[in-house]
Amino acid sequence: MAKKTIITAAVTGAWPKKENNPNVPLTPAEIAEDVYKCWQAGAAVAHLHMRDDAGNGTMDKNKFAETLRLLKTNHPDCDIVLNLTTSGDLYATEETRQIHLKELRPEMGSYDCGSMNWMHSGLFINSPAFLTELGNNMQEWGVKPEIECFDPGMIANAAYYLKKGVLKGPLYFQMCMGCANGIPGSVKNLLFMKETMDTLCPGSNWSAFGVGHSAMEILYAAVALGGNVRVGMEDNVMYSKGVLAESNAQFVERAARVIREFGNEVATPDEAREIIGLKK
Amino acid sequence: MSWGPCFFYYHCPQCGKRFKYATDLIADLGPRFGLCPECGAEGVLEKEGARTPDDLQYEEIEE
Ligand SMILES: [Zn+2]
Repeated sequence: MAKKTIITAAVTGAWPKKENNPNVPLTPAEIAEDVYKCWQAGAAVAHLHMRDDAGNGTMDKNKFAETLRLLKTNHPDCDIVLNLTTSGDLYATEETRQIHLKELRPEMGSYDCGSMNWMHSGLFINSPAFLTELGNNMQEWGVKPEIECFDPGMIANAAYYLKKGVLKGPLYFQMCMGCANGIPGSVKNLLFMKETMDTLCPGSNWSAFGVGHSAMEILYAAVALGGNVRVGMEDNVMYSKGVLAESNAQFVERAARVIREFGNEVATPDEAREIIGLKK
Repeated sequence: MSWGPCFFYYHCPQCGKRFKYATDLIADLGPRFGLCPECGAEGVLEKEGARTPDDLQYEEIEE
């Protein structure tokens, strides 16, 4: 049987605006429609960020709730796995970064496994106290952490929290490649991330994305190395050099083609649940 | 979370072309990083960061 590869669609993110690509979905209505189209194109997981009315990243739980309501009401056939960010705004409080998980109980939430300088300009703080609290809460709330790692040290940190019981295996990693202050996006570096994960957290599953110019290199490498893939405008607003993406679904369609041409099959949401270890 | 790439935004002091380089290519490109793709002149760094509102006016240089 062919191996199943999960496509995660990261449709909005915290940064790109309509000026960067008029097709990036920003409102709950736009995001819900976009997620539905990505699901139709083969995405099994949707990683969601919200924007305030000015288009800036926000952790406003009402925006998350409205998006989920619209998706459920308008598209009851859509069984995509929802993965809500816990890092949609660098100035959010530790409370607003997780209250939406408690109230909405999505199947997954992001878990950024360490702190870093962000884009050479700010701080992305994930303190030991916050990661401990978030890990314990996510277990209690039945929300599976997606362990976002921007460098190999964050994988070592995940191994520490696994040993402490703050995280529960099997872990699901998202290798975030090419972000400023993180590990640059290259095949060599992705292989190192995977090998570090295999050594420190054996039995884990993983996905990867590369921002900007490294997107295709990381997409092909992740498929070839047996991982899963994330695509979408959170990480890249350009479809190819000098060409704006028409939609997030366009990215998902390409990822599906790459997966099938390689000889794998695109995982359905239920197959993704099995791979990631979600109860449903 | 990602904010996409971090860029250095330049204009060329000779031909005026606007271009940008993603900062994760600094090591790969070495001394070529920041050069004008048209005339090879050293670009004048205007600003840096995630995609700015006028991002599309700057050609992305990857090699
Ligand atoms: Zn020039």
